[in-house]
Amino acid sequence: MNGANFVVQALKQHNISQVFGYPGGAIMPLYDALYDGGVDHLLCRHEQGAVMAAIGYARSTGNVGVCIATSGPGATNLITGLADAMMDSVPVVAITGQVASHLIGTDAFQEIDVLGLSLACTKHSFMVQNAEQLGPIIEQAFELAASGRPGPVLIDIPKDIQLGDAVNFASICKAPITEKVDQEAINKALAMISDAQKPLLYVGGGVGMAKAITPLRQFINTTKIPSVCTLKGIGAIEHDSDYFLGMVGMHGSKASNFAIQECDLLIAIGARFDDRVTGKLDEFAPHAKVIHLDIDAAEVDKLRTVELSMTEDLKHILPLLEVEISIEDWQQKALTMKVDFANRYDHPGEAIFAPALLRQLAQMQPRDTVICTDVGQHQMWVAQHMFVDRPENHISSSGLGTMGFGIPAAVGAKVARPDDMVIAVSGDGSFMMNVQELGTIKRKKLPVKILLIDNQRLGMVRQWQKLFFDGRYSETILTDNPDFVTLASAFDIPGETISTKSQIQDALTRLLESEGAYLLHVSISEEENVWPLVPPGAANDKMMESLQ
Amino acid sequence: MKSQLTIESQNSPELLERLLRVVRHRGFNVQTLQAETTDNEQNLHLSLTVYSEREISLLTKQLEKIFGVTKVSLLAQQAEIKASA
Ligand SMILES: Cc1ncc(C[n+]2csc(CCOP(=O)(O)OP(=O)(O)O)c2C)c(N)n1
Repeated sequence: MNGANFVVQALKQHNISQVFGYPGGAIMPLYDALYDGGVDHLLCRHEQGAVMAAIGYARSTGNVGVCIATSGPGATNLITGLADAMMDSVPVVAITGQVASHLIGTDAFQEIDVLGLSLACTKHSFMVQNAEQLGPIIEQAFELAASGRPGPVLIDIPKDIQLGDAVNFASICKAPITEKVDQEAINKALAMISDAQKPLLYVGGGVGMAKAITPLRQFINTTKIPSVCTLKGIGAIEHDSDYFLGMVGMHGSKASNFAIQECDLLIAIGARFDDRVTGKLDEFAPHAKVIHLDIDAAEVDKLRTVELSMTEDLKHILPLLEVEISIEDWQQKALTMKVDFANRYDHPGEAIFAPALLRQLAQMQPRDTVICTDVGQHQMWVAQHMFVDRPENHISSSGLGTMGFGIPAAVGAKVARPDDMVIAVSGDGSFMMNVQELGTIKRKKLPVKILLIDNQRLGMVRQWQKLFFDGRYSETILTDNPDFVTLASAFDIPGETISTKSQIQDALTRLLESEGAYLLHVSISEEENVWPLVPPGAANDKMMESLQ
Repeated sequence: MKSQLTIESQNSPELLERLLRVVRHRGFNVQTLQAETTDNEQNLHLSLTVYSEREISLLTKQLEKIFGVTKVSLLAQQAEIKASA
């Protein structure tokens, strides 16, 4: 068996039945092994599409996503996706071909120092230097990608090692480490929770990554502590949970941001005090003591100094923190804020109001629909106005904010969950950034639904130009967009354009009921903004809510 | 603040680069550095002094996360003389 066949066998041993990639010279031996190796490969139309499909695959299932690229330009095209996976802690294994060992360092054709490039955007990266290393490295890569705080891992494999004889490798089954929970810390946390008058849960993406949704919900059921979530935490708490106030931060709900500013105990669970969440850091949750639960010790005291932290598995900690407390006044306050600051969908005129459209889609879509978004205003409207009951069903590039993410992520999610509806919500700017992935949808006849919200602008940037740069619309006007419906039809994707409220119901029905892929192109006014907005550098309770 | 650290790790060709990238990216400057492989090139031992306005724990926790790093020790700290900053 040669090295390349060995890699395919190892993938199968790690239960990988699907990979995403793009071939080229230095990875040809691996593609030869994939030809009849028993692992499905989906050809994406750009390596960035492949890595983002692997992310969509991973995020929609909780399993490791795998992508493959050739050396040089193939590998450099992966970088943005690796950075995205790094920021959002997504378990991805990327395999790149490298020029043959004796050519490394000679500026050979399509040689680039991928290991060097990967240092800043992977959890770890390996270059295989000899056949003996191949087995252990693949094993470590899968282990590293999925364990602790997950993240992307890269394996760079020179061509001669792919072609040369493989060396047998018997994987060592490591006994799982049973970690002891620190009872003293638990007792302290219980005391802090019991003492608090206004405790608040601040729930991040770590809860989903830790597969701790059930213990979290159980904890909320018992304690009835009001809660807010981050962009990546969406879906961790049931959207209709009594005291759940929605997303916090720059475009968070008014109720969440006020609750944060008022609480006296903040319990951060799998969250990392990102600046888009905290606003002005030293005025974030100014009255609160903080308990921080996160598996990554480096997140503790990084931005906010906390009173108590625990870095054990959330699945083990949360059940030990269940305690009944009486905080009626605070709960009542949460309920009142929820009502007083509820989203409003009344909107004058015939033009389509994107928040209302998304709300309606959320009401019409089948259970367990996966929403993948691109980046910009439409992404924030999805977060604010759609409702999601599993983190795996809301796939949004959060930490890196990567335009072009939505379509390939939806490709990956649809391949991973063929029986569930997958909808990509995109903007006219973002859509064009990985538009070539329509080719992947066509190739596989993937029934991915695309809702394209077109304001003929780079809307989010336009909004900031309006608010903070005197309306000087530098390079954000896209009135010269292509005809999107015609573009989609070139990939055998039917579609239609709508622009008035009265068309919404029927068009959404056609989108959801179409047999294959479908593009619903929605023309909206360029003037719409995302509200509320915490301006840069302001505390979270200083929200702007309109242009006035 | 100036901090004196030692780092023990399993050696790999890019390890030094990996460590130094984290030092820089997290906001620390290297003043002195000594690196030495031990145990037949199997391990790498590093002694360094770094300075920064930032809390040293922000760096040590990041270094401890690096795959292959077995131990990070903070040996000493002293207020930095501004002139060299
Ligand atoms: C790759 C990349 N380049 C640039 C940006 C900066 N950026 C953030 S939002 C945005 C506009 C997005 O426009 P569009 O996709 O049309 O969405 P809209 O905001 O109009 O809903 C831009 C340019 C980014 N996030 N990612």
